[in-house]
Amino acid sequence: MRSVLCYGDSNTHGQVPGGTPLDRYGPAERWPGVMARELGVGWHVIEEGLSGRTTVRDDPIEGAHKNGRTYLRPCLQSHAVLDLVIIMLGTNDLKARFNQPASEVAMAMGCLVYDIKELKPGPGGSVPEIMIVSPPPMLDDIKEWRSIFAGAPEKSRQLALEFEIIADSLEVHFFDAGSVVTCDPLDGFHINGQAHALLGRALAREVEAIGWPDER
Amino acid sequence: MPDMRFAPPNPLRIADRASGLNAVSVRSYNERLVLSLLLQSKDITRLEIGERTGLSAQTVSVIVRSLEQEGLIAKGEAQRGRVGPPTVPLSLNPEGAYSVGISVGHRQVEVVLVDFVGSIRSHAVLPFSAAAQDTNHPQFMSAIAKAIADLPQHLHSRIAGIGLALPGDEVELELTPKAARERFDALQEEVEREIGYPVYVQNDITAAAGGESMFGVAKHLSDYLFFYLGARLHSRLVLNHQIYNTTGAVSFDVGILRLEQEITRQGRQTSELWERGADWPSFGEAEIAWQRELVGQMKSSIAALKQFVPITSVVLSSYAPQAVCKAICRELEQAMPGIAAIAGNIERSPKAVGAAGLPFSSRFMVE
Repeated sequence: MRSVLCYGDSNTHGQVPGGTPLDRYGPAERWPGVMARELGVGWHVIEEGLSGRTTVRDDPIEGAHKNGRTYLRPCLQSHAVLDLVIIMLGTNDLKARFNQPASEVAMAMGCLVYDIKELKPGPGGSVPEIMIVSPPPMLDDIKEWRSIFAGAPEKSRQLALEFEIIADSLEVHFFDAGSVVTCDPLDGFHINGQAHALLGRALAREVEAIGWPDER
Repeated sequence: MPDMRFAPPNPLRIADRASGLNAVSVRSYNERLVLSLLLQSKDITRLEIGERTGLSAQTVSVIVRSLEQEGLIAKGEAQRGRVGPPTVPLSLNPEGAYSVGISVGHRQVEVVLVDFVGSIRSHAVLPFSAAAQDTNHPQFMSAIAKAIADLPQHLHSRIAGIGLALPGDEVELELTPKAARERFDALQEEVEREIGYPVYVQNDITAAAGGESMFGVAKHLSDYLFFYLGARLHSRLVLNHQIYNTTGAVSFDVGILRLEQEITRQGRQTSELWERGADWPSFGEAEIAWQRELVGQMKSSIAALKQFVPITSVVLSSYAPQAVCKAICRELEQAMPGIAAIAGNIERSPKAVGAAGLPFSSRFMVE
C-alpha cells in the first residue's frame, strides 16, 4: 500500500465556488477522492486542504494557522510513511495583504520542498516523491474578492511558469492544473465539481506516470 | 553568508521556451543519457528509464518534461495491462530533429536528410565526375541546399547540423578525381560558411558503422566486427558500443570494384553495380567467384581478430542490394559456425545516413 498526501488550500478542501469553507463537495467528488478512485486499492490518499492556506506566510487577518509551512511538519509526521507528497498552493499568497510577486510564491514553494527533503517522511526515512502542482489561474472577475485579491489574477497566470522553474531546479515532479481545469465564474478562483473530477483523473495519471516499482 | 538553498532558482532547462532546439551547452549529461536510451529502445516508460539509467524518478520526470516541451520526445497511447496501472510509453519524436548527411565517394556524392530516428526524408546522388575539377561548387552546395529546402520552412530550426563522411582509405582516395583530396579538406569550412549549419566530420567507414549502431541492425549489439562493402572491403571493430577508428586501417580488394573487374572480363555491362537502391541482375559465374573470394577474406579477418577478442557477431553494411548482403551473410555463417552475420538495414547510402547521425550524437547523445 502506498500513501500520498494531498496538501492544499480551499481547492483541495473542496470548497464550492461562491460558497463558504463549510460548503464542501463530498469526499468522493473532491479531487483527492476522485484520484483515490482512479488509483485504486494500492493507494491510500490523504486529503489535507485548508481554506486560506498560504505557502509560508502567517496570515495577519485570518490567523497564523493558515501558514502552510508551520503545519506541514506535524502533518508529514502524522501521516508518515509517505510515498508521495502533492502540494497545490499559491493562490492565497497572492492576497493584497502579502504583496508578493509570483516568483516569491514559487520561492516559498521551494521552502516546502526543502522542508520535506529535510524531514524525510518517506519509506525507511527517505525523501518521498514530491509533486508541485500550480493552481489554475484566477479569472479576471473575482466578484466581491477583488480588493482582497487586488492584482492577483495577473500574478496567478505567472505561477505555472515560476513553479515549473522551481520544480526543475529542485528536481521534483510538476503538474500545471491550469492545463486541465479553469476556475468557476461564480467566484473566479474556486474549481467546481466537474473540474475536481478532471483534476483528480489527470493527477492520477501523473502519479502513475512517476513509475512505481513493485512493492516487496 | 546567505542560505544558498534560497538563492535564485536555476531555470536552465526551461530558459529557452522558444520553438527550435536549445543551445548545445545546456544539454546535460543526464538528458543525453535519456535521449540515447530512447534512441536504442522506443516505447519505454519513465519507470524503465529510471531503472536503466539509475536516475531518480524526480530527475527523470524533470528531464522528460523538458524534452517533451522541446519536442524531442513524444508520449504514446497509454497502455492498460492486465495488472497494475496503465503505462505511458515514451519515444523519440521523429520530427524532433533533422540532420543532413553527406558522403563523398570516389564516383559520387550522396546527400540525405534524415529525421531523428534515422528515416531518410530526402536523398540525392551527384556523379562526382560531373563536378567541376577544382571546386566543390556549385552542384555540391546546391544539393545540400535542396535537401534542406525539402523540409518545410518552420522545421529548419530543428536541423541539428550537417554530417560529412570523408574517405580515408588510401587506395580509394587514389581513385578520386584529380585534386579532390585537397578539396575535401576545405569542405567542412565551405559548407559551414555557405549553408550556415555546424558541420561534423568523420571517416566514412566509421560513420557507416555509427549509422548501423544508431539507427540500424546494430542498435542492440555492443560488440561486433563491422564490415563495409564498398569499392573495397573495409572493417571496424566495435567493442562496448565504441567504434575503433584507426587511421590507416587496411582495406581489401574484394569489394565491388573487384566484382566489376570480373564482370568486365566477361564482357558485360556493369553500370547497375554503382546505382543506389536498384536490384542487381544476376552476374552469373563472375558473381559467384567474387562472393567466394569476399567471404574468404571476411573469414580470415574474423579468424585473425578472434585470437584477441571473442567476437560472435558480424554486421555487413553496404549500398549494394540487401539481397546480395544477405546472401553473403548466409555464406559466411555457413563457413563459420558460431558467427552470427547480419546484413545492415540502412540500404540506401549507409555512409551518408551515418554521417547524418553525427550531429545527433554530438548534440544529443552520450558518447
